[in-house]
Amino acid sequence: MENIYLTIVLAPLLGSIVAGFFGGRIGRAGAHWVTILGVGLSCLLSLYVLKGFVDGSLPVFDGAVYTWMVSGGIQFEIGFLVDQLTALMMAVVTFVSLMVHIYTIGYMADDEHNWPKGSLAGKNSYQRFFSYISLFTFSMLMLVMSNNFLQLFFGWEAVGLVSYLLIGFWSVRETAIFANLKAFLVNRVGDFGFILGIAAVAMYFHSLDYREVFALAPQLANVQIQVWGDTSWSLMTTIGVLLFIGAMGKSAQVPLHVWLPDSMEGPTPISALIHAATMVTAGIFMVARMSPLYELSETALSFIMVIGATTAFFMGLIGLVQNDIKRVVAYSTLSQLGYMITALGASAYAAGIFHLMTHAFFKALLFLAAGSVIIAMHHDQDIRNMGGLRKYLPITWITFLLGSLALIGFPGFSGFFSKDAIIEAVHLSQVGGSGYASILLTLGVFVTALYSFRLYFLVFHGQERMDEHTRHHLHETPAVVWVPLVLLAIPSVFIGWLSVEAVLFGDWFKGVILVAPHHDVLAQMGAGYHGQAGFVLHGMLALPFWLAMGGLALAWYIYMVNPAIAAYLMVRFGTLYRILDGKYGFDQMNMALFAGGSRGLGKLFWKTGDQQLIDGTLINGSAQGVGWIAERLRTIQTGYLYHYAIAMILGLVVLLTVFVTF
Amino acid sequence: MTFDYAHLLPIVPEIAVLVLASILLLVDLWLKDEDKGTNHLIAVFGLLVVIGLTGVVGGGEREIVLSGSYIRDPMSDVLKIAVLVVSLLSFVYSRDYLRDRGLWVGEFYVLTLCAVLGMMVMISANSFLTLYLGLELLALSLYALVAFERDNPSGAEAAMKYFVLGALGSGLLLYGLSMLYGASGSLELGAVARAVAWQGADNQVLVFGLVFVVIGIGFKFGAVPFHMWVPDTYQGAPNPVVLFLGSAPKIAAFALAFRLLVDGLGQLHADWQGMLVILSVISLAVGNIVAIAQTNIKRMLAYSTISHVGFIFLGLLAGTTEGFAAAMFYAIVYALMAAGGFGLLVMMSRQGHEVERLEDLKGLNERDSWQAAMMALVMFSMAGVPPTVGFMAKLLVLDAVISIGLWWLALIAVFFSVIGAFYYLRVVKIIYFDKPEVIEPLVVGSGARVALSVTGLAILLLGLFPAALLTYCQAAFA
Amino acid sequence: MGFEKFLFYVLAATLIAAAGMVVTRRNPVHAVLFLVVAFFSSAMLWMLLEAEFLAISLVLVYVGAVLVLFLFVIMMLDVDIATLKAQFIRHLPLALVVGVIMLVEIFLVVGPGNFGGESFPNPAPQGPDYNNTRELGLLLYSSYLYPFEIAAVILLVAIVAAIRLTLRHRPDTKYLDPSKQVYVRKGPDRVQLIRVPPEPRRVPPTATPTSGVEDEA
Repeated sequence: MENIYLTIVLAPLLGSIVAGFFGGRIGRAGAHWVTILGVGLSCLLSLYVLKGFVDGSLPVFDGAVYTWMVSGGIQFEIGFLVDQLTALMMAVVTFVSLMVHIYTIGYMADDEHNWPKGSLAGKNSYQRFFSYISLFTFSMLMLVMSNNFLQLFFGWEAVGLVSYLLIGFWSVRETAIFANLKAFLVNRVGDFGFILGIAAVAMYFHSLDYREVFALAPQLANVQIQVWGDTSWSLMTTIGVLLFIGAMGKSAQVPLHVWLPDSMEGPTPISALIHAATMVTAGIFMVARMSPLYELSETALSFIMVIGATTAFFMGLIGLVQNDIKRVVAYSTLSQLGYMITALGASAYAAGIFHLMTHAFFKALLFLAAGSVIIAMHHDQDIRNMGGLRKYLPITWITFLLGSLALIGFPGFSGFFSKDAIIEAVHLSQVGGSGYASILLTLGVFVTALYSFRLYFLVFHGQERMDEHTRHHLHETPAVVWVPLVLLAIPSVFIGWLSVEAVLFGDWFKGVILVAPHHDVLAQMGAGYHGQAGFVLHGMLALPFWLAMGGLALAWYIYMVNPAIAAYLMVRFGTLYRILDGKYGFDQMNMALFAGGSRGLGKLFWKTGDQQLIDGTLINGSAQGVGWIAERLRTIQTGYLYHYAIAMILGLVVLLTVFVTF
Repeated sequence: MTFDYAHLLPIVPEIAVLVLASILLLVDLWLKDEDKGTNHLIAVFGLLVVIGLTGVVGGGEREIVLSGSYIRDPMSDVLKIAVLVVSLLSFVYSRDYLRDRGLWVGEFYVLTLCAVLGMMVMISANSFLTLYLGLELLALSLYALVAFERDNPSGAEAAMKYFVLGALGSGLLLYGLSMLYGASGSLELGAVARAVAWQGADNQVLVFGLVFVVIGIGFKFGAVPFHMWVPDTYQGAPNPVVLFLGSAPKIAAFALAFRLLVDGLGQLHADWQGMLVILSVISLAVGNIVAIAQTNIKRMLAYSTISHVGFIFLGLLAGTTEGFAAAMFYAIVYALMAAGGFGLLVMMSRQGHEVERLEDLKGLNERDSWQAAMMALVMFSMAGVPPTVGFMAKLLVLDAVISIGLWWLALIAVFFSVIGAFYYLRVVKIIYFDKPEVIEPLVVGSGARVALSVTGLAILLLGLFPAALLTYCQAAFA
Repeated sequence: MGFEKFLFYVLAATLIAAAGMVVTRRNPVHAVLFLVVAFFSSAMLWMLLEAEFLAISLVLVYVGAVLVLFLFVIMMLDVDIATLKAQFIRHLPLALVVGVIMLVEIFLVVGPGNFGGESFPNPAPQGPDYNNTRELGLLLYSSYLYPFEIAAVILLVAIVAAIRLTLRHRPDTKYLDPSKQVYVRKGPDRVQLIRVPPEPRRVPPTATPTSGVEDEA
């Protein structure tokens, strides 16, 4: 089995290396074939592994494949832990990645138009893009298949790196550079917490191996540590919160969410793959993987839940006022990530992961469909210039509609099962803050439906607002683009129905995710579960369904029936609109306070500290000092043999005197 | 004593090297001047065969044969292969240089192979006598190699200095060994260790002999204040000889130090630890500081050698298996880096023009960007910048030193490494940011190009995956 | 005090005195001759230890071969004694201090405390039929076979090195080729006396700097 797992990980890496280093040699077709073959192999094997876990023929694998080094008694290893959770993630990651690879052939076909003429960075950009997304697949697989914190951190940083590279892929665009710098800096804040958390694990557990750490965790459940003065903190809460700060950066939770909307500067395939389906869910995966630790700290769970619910609702609201097609979907992603995080806080890890999976399919679908629209619109992303695209882009239209229905949780669609489960779980949860979270999540359903169908109606229905030239060229995108849409639409619709029983209420995660009995809300729900149909019927009677329908209807009314009302509302609720349009002022605050402040501080240090003190005194001073000493010392080397000999003899005498006489 | 042919099995690699040298000596007689390339081929393929033989013969438990003169253990297997590989690299690097300079004669290969044989003898020595003879075999070959370009007066001067100081160093070592023999009554390392354990560590004669032995080791490594020969010899000797002299013998010197200090005199750890502390601190200081003032890149690398020796000593003086493994790793890695660094100088030297000034490297990037990148890798590695293997080597050594509580020593080492980083990075700056004086592209043979690429990539890959080598180093002392 | 002990002290004193002379004599020929004395004394010390083979080989090899070669070389070289002397005086104080310290330290360790008679008792005397050379040979070819072979390789290296560093074919030197001599036939090949008219004086070959460099090397 080890070989299969190694192949799964290394095939994309190999593809990436070939496409990256030899892209110029093998040409465009060579680059996309080699990467697609690599990821395709990975995907097939991942599905095989998943099947093995489904029919129970595969045992859980946990073993090191390579010992990197041993230091201070801690083993640093590369190893795989493949269980049901990992198998699920592997299948999702490789499947979405494969779809995105195929889609990219169409999306990046004319990439040379995005670069200035003769630009060196634009040379072989097509091959480079494929190399990056394959590298991303490798990194993400390393992350999810890890059996220790070190490799987790490696994967964590590697996906961050690729994300950085891809957000700024069109490096000649000012905004892209700004966005990738922003993503980089914000993620540093999260990673700082993350690595502190790992350091705390290494310090108190003396191991980085999941199995050993989890086994030891119950014994350390009540340990108090002094970090700052005399206040003592619970070790588990400290570790949990620190690790979660990392997750907040990667999974874009308030207040570290600011980078994700800007990341839409990158090409659309990576928005689908990295910034919707996979990388941003790394935080959710990590918390679920660490469930044995989180279960020991109610405080950390509470913190997670409040952060998640806040993100889920308030980021959804911003989605209502966005006009860029990708940004609407991006805010929707933020909101949905908030749902998953809230589920984790309620100890409904399985529900969080389940939503992660369904969301990966329908959000990748929505992004790719949006990308298809963008291709058709000649890279115009403003929804105010669209409308009535349904007849020009029939396949995109139908898949986008299916994705939207899944997103708002229309009964029977995949998103329905996962979202409903989360809302129900949070409702049942007793963890502090669950009341707040429950209200926000329920209201969030309404918001979700509203912005989703606002987008849908504005893009595919109503007046055709594009200019004559664009309209003239509108036609369905090529097969490499729409085939992935169709392939993604299938699981977007059906995967929830098929897997809800096993994942949420069955024993799929038994022994993988640990839930303390008094937290186990899913078990309570499971008691009242009577098959998918019952679940659907029950959902149709519950409040969230009617809220969703209400949102849908409102969107229909505002944007289809009576468009004037939108403008009226914008004026009537001007303050609210401005707050939402200003994204609650996070960006301004960051720019003014953190960016401006740290620049000011940096300038201060630079002028007085660096230039005067360090450069002037320490560097130049010490450099001169060292240089002076060096000049003196080199004169010892006279070139005369007898000087050399006497130096040896003197050394001998000194050593003899020191060690023999004394 | 009964003689068993099975006893000859472990020394098959040594025999093979000797046979190879003899074959070359004979074949060379019948070769015309234009066919001297045959020598090169024979030497390279011969060494490949010897590497294979070492691998075949090696492995398994340690065995001591030939009346206790010879030992084969996991450490000797690894070190021998390292020596052979580095020597092989140096042959490949030197090919074009030797051909262009009319130095392409069989004697070069014979002498180098005899030096290799000397190193292998040292690595597998289990008695004072074998150790010393191996050392002399190595040294004598090196003296001749340094003066190999016989019409070059500076080569002769360098050889003379090396020879006289080497004789002094050997004399001191021999005197020390005689003292140890007097105190312990045996030449065989195992017996010496038993005698020392029995007598206790406070025997004055033992410490007295130990001082001389440490000096002999210090001389071979080129530790301050026994380092004076290093810069002058490096400067005067032809580049291929410096390449060989500066790389593989460091591995052998590690074996010398380990066999004498640990195998033989492990009980005197407290004493030799103190001596090595002194030597390593002043080596680090002098090596790193004086290198800054050098304008000749060969002299600069010579001082850099001296500072690296300080690091190898740090690992040795820790006296733990962890420390020995770190020192061994460091020695092998250093030999690899030195081979890369000097290899580039050899490749850049053209007929009538010996590359030795720092200015000669100016704008190398514009002349050949791949070679420039490899050189930059070597420099980063020597400076200890992650993710190169140089960083890993330094880290392991420092880890070993800190784990025995000598954190101040680790601080000193780091401090001087930081100073040392200056001159390595200056080379990188010269390669990438200075305007070249000559603009013609570098003409490099394919063999040398491959060798440099292999070296550079090994430096990078071993930095990322140190366990590939480290596990062998650790297994040697397990 | 037995005769042996007396002999030992005489020989030791001679050895040290001769060694001192080797270092201090300003005439190198004298120094070498004193070295001969030193070697003889040490050979006799070995003889006192019943190590006849070593004693004889010391005389044969060192005195008979090495030192004679030394004498040849020194007589052919032009050693500037005055400068050597000046350097010697200048560094004498340092040398004396270092030397004295070394001497004291060595004496402290290599004194009777550690190397006295009680730590190293005399070995039992061997019978008259004991053959030192034979025993040595047996040891060399059995226990010390490996070091012995290495020593042989060292000698080989020495030969190769010496030939490489000194042997060169110079077109301007005249030498005999034995393989050609073999083919000499009676008659035309044999030496013939030919009267040659005296040549005008030739210019010495200073215009060939390469040979000058070669001589230096």
